[in-house]
Amino acid sequence: MENTTDTIIGINVTLKGNLHNKGSIQVNGNIEGEVRSDENILIGETAKIKGPVIAKKIEISGEVKGLVEATEKLEVNSSGRVYGDINAKSLVIKEGAIFVGKSTSSQTPGETTSEPEKNTPKESTEIIVEPVKENKDKMGFFGKK
Amino acid sequence: MYYYIFDLKKCRKHSQVTDIKNYLAALGISGEFTYPSAAATVEELVDLGLSKKYNTIVGIGSDEIANRIAAKMSGQSEAMGLIPLEASADLAYLIGTSNWKEAAENLRYRKLSEMRIGLTANGSGFLTNINLDLRAPTEVTLEFRDYLVQARATSVLISNFSKEIKKISPDHLDIVMKSAGPKQAGILARFSSFFGGNNEKLGHSLFRARSLRLFTSSQIGLITDNYLVAKTPQLVESSDEDLRLITSKKTGSSPF
Repeated sequence: MENTTDTIIGINVTLKGNLHNKGSIQVNGNIEGEVRSDENILIGETAKIKGPVIAKKIEISGEVKGLVEATEKLEVNSSGRVYGDINAKSLVIKEGAIFVGKSTSSQTPGETTSEPEKNTPKESTEIIVEPVKENKDKMGFFGKK
Repeated sequence: MYYYIFDLKKCRKHSQVTDIKNYLAALGISGEFTYPSAAATVEELVDLGLSKKYNTIVGIGSDEIANRIAAKMSGQSEAMGLIPLEASADLAYLIGTSNWKEAAENLRYRKLSEMRIGLTANGSGFLTNINLDLRAPTEVTLEFRDYLVQARATSVLISNFSKEIKKISPDHLDIVMKSAGPKQAGILARFSSFFGGNNEKLGHSLFRARSLRLFTSSQIGLITDNYLVAKTPQLVESSDEDLRLITSKKTGSSPF
């Protein structure tokens, strides 16, 4: 297994505590605690995180209950569920994703770094992107189809 | 100058001992040959070699003798060499060859590489990997400095050096764990093996740490090269000091 990812949390694995890495983190299992990376965090469909998630770039396909803070980009995929506040420089929420919380951005799209308002927080409250149908409906008797 | 510790069990035939001795003599690097026994363990022989002021302690054998010598030589200014006989692929990759003649030539060329080794709390060491000797999925807890990991594991590998794993930091161990799904009963247990295939890759975990503690509900061995290194519960860590290891003289044939 050749991999430059610092840490991978596999499915059916439970991690309790604070995971802080310089390199990237991939999560497919469960975490109770803070997840922080200087690089990227990839949260897979099977992942469940209860606690803050902080990184340069974050991609969410699983569930996060807690603050999500991306200094560069946050992407919530269609299977992603975020129950908590979001703070991201660039935010993409795909159709079908669930997001319940407040979204704050330090820089809105199109702004250049030279503009004086670049650090002014733009805040919107209670953004809820409802899925077409819940994930439970996609599950077969023995797991996902 | 060279102090050889010969694992006779790894020789295919008795004449190989003579062949190796003759080859080393022909290369001009002959020295004192010793053989571990009940009277003198590998560790005692290393101490003896160092006390006799030999500057190179060479193991002739496989992973077991290499690991046992490495555990004693970590932090020493003297060099360690290895002539592999039935060594694992990772160990052969580490020293740059699986061929004993080539390894003997490398001893003469004497290219030194410094590396950390893995250590267990019972004083054992390992240059490459150790495995938790799991026969069936088992509840395993790995305790790291800031967090705890729990899983029903099917395999746990602690690697100091492996050609399969790209090492990010020289003083960190790489821990690879494969996990199984939760224990199921009845019809679910019968069918879970058929439907669990998609999750196999997702069941791989990778952690990198300077040290960790391993816990299992019952005592389980940590093995390498089919010999027992330690038993759980166990502390495993990367050594604080370097080992000076003689590796391949050819550029690109060893990882250093």
